Amino acid sequence: MYICLMYSNELIKGTLKTVVLSLLAKKGRMYGYEITQHVKEETEGKIQLTEGALYPLLHRLEADGLLLTEKVSIGKRVRKYYRLTKEGTESAASLVEEFKEFSKTMNRLLNNYTLTTAYHG
Amino acid sequence: MAELNEHQIELISAYIRQHGVAQDELHDDLLDHVCTSIEHKMDGGQAFEQAFADTIKLFGPGGLKQVQQQTFELLTEMNETMKKVAFVFGLTSAFLLLAGTIFKLMHWPGASIMVVLGGGILSLLYLPTLLIHKLKESPRGDALQHISGFVGLGLTAVGVTFKIMHWPGAGFLLIGGMTTLGLFYVPIYFFRQYKQSSNKPVTLSAALVAMTCLILVFALTNMRTSSEMNRGLALISEELANANDRYMEIDALYERAGSSEMVSALRKNASATVALLDAYKHHLIAYTEGVSIEEAKTIRASALNQRFSYDVPTHILFRGEGEHAEFHIDRVVEAVEAFEAEVLGAYEPGLQATMGELLPFDTEKNYTIEGKQVDWAAYHFYKIPLIGVISELTNLQVNVRNAEMQALLHIISQPAAADPPSGS
Repeated sequence: MYICLMYSNELIKGTLKTVVLSLLAKKGRMYGYEITQHVKEETEGKIQLTEGALYPLLHRLEADGLLLTEKVSIGKRVRKYYRLTKEGTESAASLVEEFKEFSKTMNRLLNNYTLTTAYHG
Repeated sequence: MAELNEHQIELISAYIRQHGVAQDELHDDLLDHVCTSIEHKMDGGQAFEQAFADTIKLFGPGGLKQVQQQTFELLTEMNETMKKVAFVFGLTSAFLLLAGTIFKLMHWPGASIMVVLGGGILSLLYLPTLLIHKLKESPRGDALQHISGFVGLGLTAVGVTFKIMHWPGAGFLLIGGMTTLGLFYVPIYFFRQYKQSSNKPVTLSAALVAMTCLILVFALTNMRTSSEMNRGLALISEELANANDRYMEIDALYERAGSSEMVSALRKNASATVALLDAYKHHLIAYTEGVSIEEAKTIRASALNQRFSYDVPTHILFRGEGEHAEFHIDRVVEAVEAFEAEVLGAYEPGLQATMGELLPFDTEKNYTIEGKQVDWAAYHFYKIPLIGVISELTNLQVNVRNAEMQALLHIISQPAAADPPSGS
């Protein structure tokens, strides 16, 4: 799961896949630690990915054919870089599109809500 | 940037393995992750030990093992279709088996088809679907446990279905299934539990399936054996032998009785009644034992596997429809009564009442079972095991031959034996 400093778990659940795929779409190839650090920096620490959530997801996406791995030897250990497959790229695009659409809808819905309560209040 | 030395990397790798991460791919990921994190922390001025401890803390309370567990779960999550398919198969087979069992116990029609369908779906569709999922989900070393478990359960389920249907081979299937469970699944299961020193109870669903199977076996099989029944078996063979011997004598009697119309009618009707009863016996044996009519004709009474089962004979004789329609017990009663009338016709009217009492047919008689009045057919055939039904039918055949012989002897003893008896 996310260790989330700002947002509730329910709110962010389900967006992890979108975050990881879109990040890889932007950056090309990344390794696990890099992804956690990147998310942490980009969100100014408001969202932190944990290892416990990230690696299971990466393995699942690889099994689903959305990701490819590349192994690079770093001194005495192996570093696994993840990159999108063609299918993964398409999936990333549609997930981002879907989330933007969702966020727009939510905005509209919640703006009205605030206005109405303000009016009654 | 700090770089960990070989010794430190080995230490971390060993730590990851020790904490339950067996999968190589995941191990490599985690090793690189932990190393990179430590290197970053060391760049920030921390000592190796402190950086290591801090990094491990990030994995949360479940630790590394939980990461692997979650990876497994995500990788093997049943997809929606598989879930739906398993759900439909499971629900259908459970429903059919339960309804079939109730119908069977109440002797309502349609029970058999439900039980066969339910058992078939359970063992041929539902269990294999679960097995495929289980095999995908667990490490390869567990394959023998899962395969033996599902093969054992599947065989048992098919065996129970066969047993309920009284099809041949049920015993073999049940023994095969139970043995597989007993010799492979159960020992492996407990050995694993012991090795993992886990005290988790048996998976609820597996236990439920096993329990249901056992209950079905006990509810629906008639395993009663009694020495009385076995004595009955011996009696039947004797009676059959006697009846045959007497029939040889009858040939001689017919020669002496001449060839009047009455004599030939008697001979024809006696043979027809005996043949009808034979047809009943063969039909009952064929359907109760699950053999062909031809096999039923040659099977020995002591070789009947289902000799103590009464539901099929009772169904055929009292509720039969379709292929059993012409084997209702009422037809036996009619035939025997018609034959009795035929035999009585051989006697002078003054003798008929007395002979009626003496002849061994008592189909008009009523009996009392537990305070309730029942007729002859119900008393002798309703819920009577196959062996008893066969024995009673044989007894009737012997009685037919006896009555035939008595009538013949009477005809021979008449002065005008060769002529048809006149009304006087």
